Amino acid sequence: MAQSYMNKILHINLSKGSFHHFEPPAWMRDDYLGGKGWGARMLLDIVPENADPLGPENALIFLTGPLTATPAPAMRACVVTKSPLTNAFLDSYFGGYFGPEIKYAGYDALIFTGRSTAPVFLQIDHNGPILVPARDIWGQDAIKGNQSIKSKLSDENFKIATIGPAGENQVPFALICCETNRQAGRGGAGAVMGSKNLKAIALKGDKLVKIHDQNMFNLALKKANKEIFNSLDCQGLMATGTAGSVEFANETGLIPSKNFSDGTSPLAAKLGDKGQSKKLWLSRSACFGCPIACSQMGAVRTGRYASFVSDIVEYETAAMLGTNLEIGDPRAVAHLNRLCDELGIDTISAGACISFAFEAAEKGLLKSTDDLKLEFGNAGAAADLIEMIAHKKGPLGKLLSQGVKRAAQELGPGAEPLAMHVKGMEMPAWGPRGIPGMGLAYMTADRGACHQRGFPAGYEATGMEWKGKPVKALELEGKAELVFSLQNYLAGTDCLVKCDFGAMGVSPETYALLLSAATGSEIEASFFDELGERIWNTTRIFNLREGMDIKDERLPRRFVEEPLPSGPHKGHRITEDDMKYLIKDYYQIRGWDENGRPTPETLEKTGVRLDKKFKL
Amino acid sequence: MEQTKPQVFIRTHFDLCTGCSLCKTACSMHVFGGYNPNKGMLIIRHLWENLAHIPVVCQQCQNPMCMKVCPVKAISRDETTQAVVIDQNKCISCKLCSQYCALGVIHRDPETQKAYKCDLCQGDPQCVQVCPFEALELVHEQKHNGE
Repeated sequence: MAQSYMNKILHINLSKGSFHHFEPPAWMRDDYLGGKGWGARMLLDIVPENADPLGPENALIFLTGPLTATPAPAMRACVVTKSPLTNAFLDSYFGGYFGPEIKYAGYDALIFTGRSTAPVFLQIDHNGPILVPARDIWGQDAIKGNQSIKSKLSDENFKIATIGPAGENQVPFALICCETNRQAGRGGAGAVMGSKNLKAIALKGDKLVKIHDQNMFNLALKKANKEIFNSLDCQGLMATGTAGSVEFANETGLIPSKNFSDGTSPLAAKLGDKGQSKKLWLSRSACFGCPIACSQMGAVRTGRYASFVSDIVEYETAAMLGTNLEIGDPRAVAHLNRLCDELGIDTISAGACISFAFEAAEKGLLKSTDDLKLEFGNAGAAADLIEMIAHKKGPLGKLLSQGVKRAAQELGPGAEPLAMHVKGMEMPAWGPRGIPGMGLAYMTADRGACHQRGFPAGYEATGMEWKGKPVKALELEGKAELVFSLQNYLAGTDCLVKCDFGAMGVSPETYALLLSAATGSEIEASFFDELGERIWNTTRIFNLREGMDIKDERLPRRFVEEPLPSGPHKGHRITEDDMKYLIKDYYQIRGWDENGRPTPETLEKTGVRLDKKFKL
Repeated sequence: MEQTKPQVFIRTHFDLCTGCSLCKTACSMHVFGGYNPNKGMLIIRHLWENLAHIPVVCQQCQNPMCMKVCPVKAISRDETTQAVVIDQNKCISCKLCSQYCALGVIHRDPETQKAYKCDLCQGDPQCVQVCPFEALELVHEQKHNGE
């Protein structure tokens, strides 16, 4: 039967330098579909309990979904591993061209285990997989590394994922840079890759991705594209990418300013789409198969940072390395963004680490030197810190390269209120004090503070309707149910693997239609919610097994103790009682006991079949 | 003044191309029955770290060198569509056509070793249809003798 899976998983044992491929078991397709679902279940079954995330026993898994590499609009791929930043489940998504190439190379997933004795890269083309010595490329930045491999292979057509020096140095928020400039950014998958001595993966495939029912698929494609072009959210992304969110987040009081001490910033206008379009933007670029093309490509042409090509400065980066650090020149922020991309660190965590250092210096917990003035607004110091973090250089570089949670623990109790994180993962750029549902989403996200595992902010900040009723920003009632529903649906569709931006247009019914046509299974729209709930229970079992403490399911102290100083929700905070209410409600709706543990009934009801085991 | 047949070809607008490669997947589906942009008949040159994308498509040349060099006359102009087409049954996999295609848009299938090129999808090119950015356009250009 022609269907959109490649029906082949490749296991690469880096310790032995061996390859082994096998068919994905049918129950994995039935129960977990692909992408996040497969990753969640594989991690649970193949990574031994309490494995060191940076040890050979951890697995690094690249996953596609049944719609990846087809023209279904805005599909991506993901990497799943145990995070060195949170010691918990990590899934990180990336667009671009590397994901689809996994399927064109003939595989649904690539699973790396073990550790190579010397630096290598994996090459797969029509001759099959081989490991190639990479000592000459080790040490190169993530973008240069990509070019070096193309030169070495004398072929521009390879699609490549690389790590930079930060990944090699195992900085726990190091990223994987996926062709082209699409980062598996959060949570340190790049550090896991570095710990395995794997510098890069270079793919060029000639396998075809087939569709079960082409006529039905073409109809579904038409419908999906129409939904995208009719969606106001998607139209906004076509015009200004995520930079359009900068001024929105400022107006709604959600943007981080000075290490989240405030929720508005006078710099927003300069860093948003208007500022960026004037100083940077020149053309549009799209990920594979995407009609949205949210990427506004540009260049810093003149001035002290000239000259380099810059992708759009995404909302998260514009806020975390811009307003959050009180840096208002989009060219300076593009420069910091570029440094992070080259050195291979996550811009969100980097921004939080730098603002932590700046505020710690303000409070007298860290000292500036003549060469390094730790103060808000200092773009030069921010650039120096990024270098120091990526290379773990000097005591300050070493301190910050651990992430804000561990850095604060080392600096002493005075630093703890400045560490903006949940479960070790630094906060993304949507302050939750006026939107408690978003607070709950952060508290409960499976990978730590993450805005992409459920984004109730979109409802709370706009009063958008949920089940026919407008959502009230400050209300606590009903927020747990909202978070639960959003989390489930996103996890379910993260198995396809969809992009969040496409999902702003494409309806659940149309995703179901695309999936049915592609695979030949009969799928209803409600399938994604059910699948997502199963996945949330699966990642929960993993996280609890790995020692996640439910006492950590809370917000950073600043959001609990300090009222928001400005914006429409000025004066608000999320109190201890608020958090207690939200989490209790949430556990109940999830069918978890008071210790946050899925009950046996919940596991049975949601279809987590622990009698099965995924084996390599 | 005698009129010649109109030249039919796909005009590219690189300034509108985002590199999404939907054109190449539609092409591979049309020719090989599955999706893989590496097997499409057109190529996209990604320049300056994706600041520009240059789609390159067969221009159905008025002076097709591929046709001239083919030793077995496997390449001809289709009377109906005006496309320069390859008959895979006649193709002897000698690679001469791709060697003498200035644009590098003749595809050699690694499995069969036969040469493939754009045939304008019998007059209704799928790449043009699926491009969301209007970077590809089917053009019928009427030329007059002596002009």
